[in-house]
Amino acid sequence: MSPTDKKDKPAVYQRVVLKNASPYHYMKVCLVLEDESTRLSAVDLKQFIISGLKSLYGEVGAALTFDLLKYDEDTLTAFLRVYSRGLVKLWSSLTLLGSYQNQACAFRVLQVSPFLLALTGNSRELQLD
Amino acid sequence: MVKMSVDLDQTPRSLLVCDRSSFLNEKNRISSQVEQLHFNYKVSVLLPECSSAPSHLDAVFNSFNSFYLIRNMPIYELLDKHFLKTAVYQGSVYGVSYRTRIDEDNCVALMPNGQLSLSLDKDSFELLGAEGKPSRFNHRTTCRYVVCVDLTDSSMAPGGRGYQRLLTGLRSRLQLKTDFLLSHHPGGGASLQALLSRYDWSEHRPDVSSHTLTDLSCPALRSCDLQSCDPHSLLEWIGAVDAHISCENSSSSFLSSLVCPEPKTTVSRALSVSICGLLLPQDVHRLIQQIRYYLEQPRLESWVSLTVHGFVDSPVSWGGNEHGVLRGGENFYSLLMFHDHTYQLHLATGAHDTCPL
Repeated sequence: MSPTDKKDKPAVYQRVVLKNASPYHYMKVCLVLEDESTRLSAVDLKQFIISGLKSLYGEVGAALTFDLLKYDEDTLTAFLRVYSRGLVKLWSSLTLLGSYQNQACAFRVLQVSPFLLALTGNSRELQLD
Repeated sequence: MVKMSVDLDQTPRSLLVCDRSSFLNEKNRISSQVEQLHFNYKVSVLLPECSSAPSHLDAVFNSFNSFYLIRNMPIYELLDKHFLKTAVYQGSVYGVSYRTRIDEDNCVALMPNGQLSLSLDKDSFELLGAEGKPSRFNHRTTCRYVVCVDLTDSSMAPGGRGYQRLLTGLRSRLQLKTDFLLSHHPGGGASLQALLSRYDWSEHRPDVSSHTLTDLSCPALRSCDLQSCDPHSLLEWIGAVDAHISCENSSSSFLSSLVCPEPKTTVSRALSVSICGLLLPQDVHRLIQQIRYYLEQPRLESWVSLTVHGFVDSPVSWGGNEHGVLRGGENFYSLLMFHDHTYQLHLATGAHDTCPL
């Protein structure tokens, strides 16, 4: 095959299907507090979630690494990233976290996906009124 | 002793289809792949080394078709004889119910080929009394049904038995009413006026927003063949840019360890444009053509990324196939285009979906 032939040949079609191959899962969560004026910093929030993991799964559970990708202090909404095999542990800890500094609280899990890109394109956020 | 194995590692099935090809390859299926996602909610474009969109791209961004929102529309109106004749049979109407959740409520979709799809809970389906099938995604108990009719088929012609049965069901037995988003080809808008005049409706233009990023770390994307970045890392990076998430984290950072995939480079500026609404595949096609034209000019960075998200609560996705929400309803594709007309297409979907073609 001469060099010119190789250049003119368009790219070959290739398809790969990956099933359950995402190493991470991403969560969009919102913290709802009894006293709505309470403010947490990003570090406070991460520490709070780690304490939740510890109370449910112990020291080994608390060692589950997750990332606080983005945090909005005004709405207390955060994007979290966790290894796929740790999703159930993280999610269950968030569910059972009931109090922050002696006030009642709850984590609302707004969206979960193996793709971070899906968290930015949620049609349930479409507001037309 | 009963042995119980609880597998905490499991997550619901998700699929990522990665296609590599070239626009110059006559067998490429980009056109049909764009067409198969009928109901698009968001289109976002990332243009590296660009601070403001050139006029031809700007024109496309701002010329996506407008759409209508009809509040509390009875669904039997979609079987109205005048509407069928002037709109549905012409083959260009896209409609989907708005503010209905596919995992909780009844959802409706009208496809441009005349297929009407109703995703109903058990009680509604039994009330309606029309022919339908249990949902593919029922688990143990059958709690969701799908009624799918082809309005262009002779059995659904007005006056026929199938037509009357469905019409009576929707009009008197089930009385299904939802907010409805309706879009239309340009040049065909007049045929919707009769339907719109009967209800509370508003016209909306897709919402276009853009922002410029500076000093952005991005993976080195030279050409399709030399791609070394794995698909999941690439999509994660595109998602991070779209969500304004910083990738500048040291490995010892407490909060986050998200980094840009290697090998990486830095672009001094980049433009991210998003369009939201009920967006048609035809407009996405036009945008792709204009981006290809943009890439033909010599550029500092020779790629552009385009991501299209489908509606989470649409009863159909990837053609006429059933779609649902288990923990998430993601159905999107991300197209990475290069200056040499090669592309990488990633189609992603969740548990309650078929494999995209």
